[in-house]
Amino acid sequence: MSMSQEEIEALMSGLDIQEDESPAPEVQEQESESEPAIEEDNTSMSEDDITELIAQTDVPSEEPQEDSTDDTVSSENIDELINSIEEESSETQADENENIDDILASINGMDETTPETPAAAVTQEANAEVPTESIQSEPEKEAIAKDWTDGQIDQGVFPFPVEKNTKVVNQLSEVATDREEKASKIFDVLSFILDENNEIQKSSKQMDEFLAKQIVLLDSLSKKFPNISSFKSNLELAQSLQAVPQDIINKTNAENSQLFEAMELMQFHDINRQKIERVMSVIKKLSTYLNNLFEDETDYHDVATAKHIHGDVNSNLVDEQDLDALIAEFGN
Amino acid sequence: MKILIVDDSSTMRRIIGNVVMQLGFSKDDFDEAEDGVKAWKILGESQYDIILTDWNMPNMNGLELVQKVRSSGNHQKVPIIMITTEGGKGEVITALKAGVNNYIVKPFSAEILKEKLDGVLKK
Repeated sequence: MSMSQEEIEALMSGLDIQEDESPAPEVQEQESESEPAIEEDNTSMSEDDITELIAQTDVPSEEPQEDSTDDTVSSENIDELINSIEEESSETQADENENIDDILASINGMDETTPETPAAAVTQEANAEVPTESIQSEPEKEAIAKDWTDGQIDQGVFPFPVEKNTKVVNQLSEVATDREEKASKIFDVLSFILDENNEIQKSSKQMDEFLAKQIVLLDSLSKKFPNISSFKSNLELAQSLQAVPQDIINKTNAENSQLFEAMELMQFHDINRQKIERVMSVIKKLSTYLNNLFEDETDYHDVATAKHIHGDVNSNLVDEQDLDALIAEFGN
Repeated sequence: MKILIVDDSSTMRRIIGNVVMQLGFSKDDFDEAEDGVKAWKILGESQYDIILTDWNMPNMNGLELVQKVRSSGNHQKVPIIMITTEGGKGEVITALKAGVNNYIVKPFSAEILKEKLDGVLKK
């Protein structure tokens, strides 16, 4: 019932001190998943002990240190622990069985009150899974089948179902049409930039002409009135800006040539469309051909077909011995 | 000078139009048609100095249009340049036999079209 300090230390260190006890398998499994160090805690632990241990397992950074120190302590005191257990074994055996029941009861109680506990969570999951599998309704089965089918489609094992969006020729036709629309929009953008560049060039030419006139004017003014410094300074400024409009014109010219190149490259939209149309044509012809090839003009009706035929690679096939055994078993 | 551009792809018509404009023509210098039937209708309404046509088009293709232009109407002597993706030798021969003056395989550059235009207009 009550644990000595040594026992607690032994439990903390993960020693197996219950050789002669009958551990509860469920509790062992759950705890071993959550924390191997407290695997043997199911001897005579009180609820406080369990809470304390769980609290300690919540701090993972401390675990290795505790494990290492407890391991050394337990190896030193192992004989002492065994002796103490042997002494108490006769007295505590009955109590321990009760304690196990208490622990189980307390753990079950913890499932409801402390869902954060890892062991409790595992129990809950296990409890939750079993009934859902056993009572699957038809919609659930259909959902599972759909999930599986979707998975196979995603993996490329199954083809897409025959729908409007997945029909090959439909899709190709949409691509061809969409391509034409988008190409037209791209062309609009390129044309817009081209037109804007032309406007910029026009303005630049006007600016250039204006600057040339200003230079002539300022030049004559600065010559007539050499004492007025503003004429001279403005003349210098106008002369320095004279190259700017021409620079803008040159840059827009270079940009325009790039745009024309881009427009030329857009011919590939048309070339690719024709390639797509060629593929569509082949598919249509192939479809017609296969339909004609497999078309049945006789009065053929579906017949029942064998599921297992000799030569199939199938474990359900019976040999002579199986057949005799089955006949004998039914005694017909 | 008036130019008629015939192509089922609006993108191609615009590309050819831009190339033509690069050569110094304005937007008023050319008209567009999206197939042979519409081109034939336009040819009946106005006079053109050159026809630039695609081959593969719905309703009436370029080859049929060339044969029709050469056989009837008021554009029998007008130069025709075929601009198409059909790059086979057999196709080129067929087009030339039908009455095409020159032949351009897509994709083409502005320089190529300029050369071909200059070539047919000089004659």
